[in-house]
Amino acid sequence: MSGEEVVVMKNIHKIYPDGVVALRGVDFTVKRGEIHGLLGENGAGKTTLMRILYGEIKPTRGEIRVFGEKVSFHGPWDAIRRGIGMVYQHFTLVPTFTVKENLYLSLLSVNPKASMDEALERVRRIVEETNLKIPLEYLVEELPIGVQQRVEIVKNLIREAKILILDEPTSVLTPVETEELFKALERFKEMGLTIIFITHKLKEAKRITDRITVLRRGRVVGTVETNRVDVKDLARMMVEREIIFKIEKKPARRGEALLEARDLHVLDDRGVEAVKGISLKLYRGEIFGIAGVQGNGQRELAEALAGIRRVESGRILLHGRDITGLSAAERYRYGLAYVPASRRIGLVSEMNIVENTALTNLYRVLMKMRVINWSKASSIASEVVRRLEVVAPSLTTPIKYLSGGNQQKVMVGREIVREPDVFIVSEPTQGLDVAATEFIRRTLIRLRDEGKAILLISSDLDEVLQLSDRLAVIYEGKFMSVGRPEEYTLEKLGLLMGGVSV
Amino acid sequence: MSNVESLPRRILQSIIGFVRGWIESVRVKKRDYLVAAVELILAGLTGFLVAGIVLLVMGYDPIWIYSVLFRYGYSSPGYLGARSAALMMTGLAFSIPILAGVFNIGGESQLYLGALTGLVIAYYTGNIWLGLIAGFIGGAAWGLLIAALRVYRGINEVITAIMLNWTAYYLIIYIILKYLPNPTQSHLSIQIPENMMLSYSSTFWLAVLGAVIAYILLYYTDLGYKMRIAGLSPRTAVYAGFNPRKAILFSMLLGGGLAGYGGALHIIGVASAFDTTMSTVFGLGFAGIGVGLLGRNHPIGIIFASVFYAGLIIGGQFVELYTGAPPYLSDTIIGIIVIALAIPYAYRMMINYITLLRGGGK
Repeated sequence: MSGEEVVVMKNIHKIYPDGVVALRGVDFTVKRGEIHGLLGENGAGKTTLMRILYGEIKPTRGEIRVFGEKVSFHGPWDAIRRGIGMVYQHFTLVPTFTVKENLYLSLLSVNPKASMDEALERVRRIVEETNLKIPLEYLVEELPIGVQQRVEIVKNLIREAKILILDEPTSVLTPVETEELFKALERFKEMGLTIIFITHKLKEAKRITDRITVLRRGRVVGTVETNRVDVKDLARMMVEREIIFKIEKKPARRGEALLEARDLHVLDDRGVEAVKGISLKLYRGEIFGIAGVQGNGQRELAEALAGIRRVESGRILLHGRDITGLSAAERYRYGLAYVPASRRIGLVSEMNIVENTALTNLYRVLMKMRVINWSKASSIASEVVRRLEVVAPSLTTPIKYLSGGNQQKVMVGREIVREPDVFIVSEPTQGLDVAATEFIRRTLIRLRDEGKAILLISSDLDEVLQLSDRLAVIYEGKFMSVGRPEEYTLEKLGLLMGGVSV
Repeated sequence: MSNVESLPRRILQSIIGFVRGWIESVRVKKRDYLVAAVELILAGLTGFLVAGIVLLVMGYDPIWIYSVLFRYGYSSPGYLGARSAALMMTGLAFSIPILAGVFNIGGESQLYLGALTGLVIAYYTGNIWLGLIAGFIGGAAWGLLIAALRVYRGINEVITAIMLNWTAYYLIIYIILKYLPNPTQSHLSIQIPENMMLSYSSTFWLAVLGAVIAYILLYYTDLGYKMRIAGLSPRTAVYAGFNPRKAILFSMLLGGGLAGYGGALHIIGVASAFDTTMSTVFGLGFAGIGVGLLGRNHPIGIIFASVFYAGLIIGGQFVELYTGAPPYLSDTIIGIIVIALAIPYAYRMMINYITLLRGGGK
């Protein structure tokens, strides 16, 4: 089994055009016939590394060898020709084509002269060999996600992939489907395929892989034989860091409960349950942190609380009053504020600071006959600029000309100036520089000290550990635990984020 | 300081404040304005150049044709203004929905409907103002139908609009021939009496009034604000608690209504009646697409664009008369110019779309 090295990536660096450093000298080796886990938090560089191997993006520096040969891919087609296949989290199938047509299409991309019969023959052979059942005549959009994923895998196999990269393949699957996938992967291994398995779920990594490489902040922490480590070791490798509590804060003076959620169940955009029975109480004068790897139901939870997403079951109370049936605009008026994770959602980039400020302050600037009082909106906008120290040429500057940090300040500031009691803040410092990050974090603490209640949802461990008075870890739509940040060790956090209860 | 003194001063101050704000916004968006101006000028030049080459190939002297086009197209301001009224409104009928993210090419039939209801109501009540209101309602209902099918049934508005354009076309010919024939002139429908007709200048200013009201609705009320947000970023609208569906319905109600109002204005101010081949109204809605693009989807820009376009149409008729060029030639010239003017805009919309797609990925 410990065969030749089929993939050797040496000293890979990747700096994106916007200056973000994703990889800082990664060495990564995969042996023939193994299932190799690639483990790490958000932003550790897992997906970037694999997109480089798949030829989708080019490394800034570094050398890649596939099957012993030095390669420089211009695009995925080069990688496919070398026998590399990739299954993304979001599938690349044509929804309105049948399975058969999709498979034929993928064969055409490597062999334009192939016939449908040839494609079907290959599919038959693969199905026989792998025992993967796929309904050939169905439209892809009619199939459950798990089956679509199988089609996606077969699609790579008929192009004769020898190395299969799976990007968080279980994130869209039910437990039963996951088990089926694992059985298939084991069969692939017997057939001699090599599999690279990207994940942040510790138990899965432990269960299915032969070796694991752990990435953290663009660097390799280490590569280990899976049977020589336990999940605790993996958790430690994944999250280990020096935590500096550089923000001093007074002890929280907790008041009454302002926002309460009772047994919330919420669906995601695909209709799959993303929040599976979360209850929480948010008190005046505290920051309640929710840590977790992105995509574990954080967005759906925040949107349900804000009134943007429908609640399947459960109740939401604001000031003890049931607001489950209220619209977002009404909730905002009753003292709730929501700062979304993405500035693309929170801001309209073509509009200026005044127009963007009016977005959630609209009820404050409306006069008789539904006329907008733009001079009032301007004065609110200038208050945002003044209080949040936004650097902008003028109030009428389109928001797209502002730096990310200043955009974020506008998005946070326009909520602050309308003095709500409850803030739901999602990834407030994502992609910001050090100074802006520091400023936003201090602002959150100041709000807490002023007696606001803050729900801080963040996948940045430093952030939640530094700011939270209480901290919950979310995994697959449920809280793994709730406690004070001091009660968590890094290892424990890593385990909880990876879905291992402690 | 007494109130009597401070009132004019306050008015003065607010005017100064407004002008300052405007200058400020020009200063900041200087680059955007400059780019737009350069685009328009280049596109105009390209359009006339390409159309000129077409003329040369066809054996006409472009200089001669252009001189006729501009000499006669813009020589009679009153008529020019009245002819631009309907174009101004159909321009808005295209541009207002665009701001909400809807592609309304049904301005043509919305104009027909408004012209019909306007004619019928004005004729039978003897009141042109009721006729204009009826025109708005007729167009709005037709536009709302398209929006409702899109919002509640997910049917693409372009398909619906194309089909409804022809539905309205034949329906109206049928109605004119069957129910509204003119007793004295067989090729016309019932006619608004001469003494009831609006003057050319009132027709123009009533259209401008429509555009200004549209401008205020779009940029100074929450309805327009929510609509523009939904058009630029539906997800942001949802985040802010606005309903993007309402925005679509409102935009088509307003756009369709204005097209209908334009149709009624055209009948009551210019044409006085339908003819049985619909030649008085045919094409005014489609031309509105060009007017909207030329006016950069802004109500005030559209006022100027419609006058420019109306001049080209009028001048084109004189070109036919004086040079013997076929009538389609002037349409061709107009088409080329409008395409040239619209391309940079369409190009930028495409670029925006592509960057959005790129950035949307992980």
